[in-house]
Amino acid sequence: MTLIWLGLFSGIAFGFVVQRVGATDAHRMARAHLMLDADIPRFMLLAVALSAVGLFGLQSAGVGRVLPLPTSIVATGLAAVIFGIGWGLTGYCPGTTWAAAGEGRMDAVFALLGGLAGAALFAQLHETLVPILYDPTNVGQITLTDLFGNQAVAVAMLVIVFGMCTWGIGRLWRS
Amino acid sequence: MEPTNKQHNPYWHWIPAAFALSGIIVFIFATYGPPASSSGFVSTLKGFFEWVAPDYVAAKAHYKAIPGPGSWLFAFALGMAIGGFIAGRTSRDIPVRDMPPIWKRRFGDSRTKRYAATFLGGFLILFGSRLAGGCTLGLFISGSTQLAISGLYFGVVIFAAAMLTARLIFGKVADQEGIQ
Repeated sequence: MTLIWLGLFSGIAFGFVVQRVGATDAHRMARAHLMLDADIPRFMLLAVALSAVGLFGLQSAGVGRVLPLPTSIVATGLAAVIFGIGWGLTGYCPGTTWAAAGEGRMDAVFALLGGLAGAALFAQLHETLVPILYDPTNVGQITLTDLFGNQAVAVAMLVIVFGMCTWGIGRLWRS
Repeated sequence: MEPTNKQHNPYWHWIPAAFALSGIIVFIFATYGPPASSSGFVSTLKGFFEWVAPDYVAAKAHYKAIPGPGSWLFAFALGMAIGGFIAGRTSRDIPVRDMPPIWKRRFGDSRTKRYAATFLGGFLILFGSRLAGGCTLGLFISGSTQLAISGLYFGVVIFAAAMLTARLIFGKVADQEGIQ
């Protein structure tokens, strides 16, 4: 029961922040994708860099739970292409769909319904598609720590790269 | 053309907003585990199908892997909708629209067309998310926070595909758009 209240509270806070920064606005998302507005991508990348430092702190203190998803070269890449087409077309991703629908945007309500249909179809096809697309090129739950051999170094590398991308987006995007 | 970047900007600045969001993300890692939002769609469906077709749910691997509506995942998705509702009702400056102006300029006033497009887009983002195992939040943001290669790989490809798609769809009208 506690977990449900924690989930609800976390969701409310998350939905509030993404609305205030403008991520639930499909117009603002489209401008971000067209390289006319740098704020949303910079917001996302900086949030990841800060969260990675925060999570490293949690893990050092022995708090929290992590579960990195495996990488399937074919399935993760193909899924990302399908996802990116939908994201570019609508300006919504699954999380912002909930927040934007709650906000009262009717096009997000239709995105949510389409999302339910897409998830239902994948659940139906899971047993067929996963062995064909996911499993053959599944390289496991690899992380940057495996690559660099040390978690602190891996976190530092991630922060440096994401920091540089955040700066680069500010330079390349016209805003 | 109006000077677009001189307009009043009703949104939070991205730097404090990123600090706020990462505070929430770290809180979620501490109190639950990796945050995710596309799983909330599966939880919703599981709740529905457990009611109309319990045998179907019991037989499908995807529904076995994700908990039903009485879970953190569903509560989080519901909370996102409530958070969006509260934020929308308490902001006078941020416009709530059924259709983005950039879409109107490109495809006209037809709501049917926009709603059909977002239904299709919603379908694609969830189909993709479920194939990869997560979405912008559940795979890119929470995966990269955990230093997972899957999250970084997914992030690079979704940005590239979305930027290319947006350019193909809106490229013609892109230069005429203001912040609102």
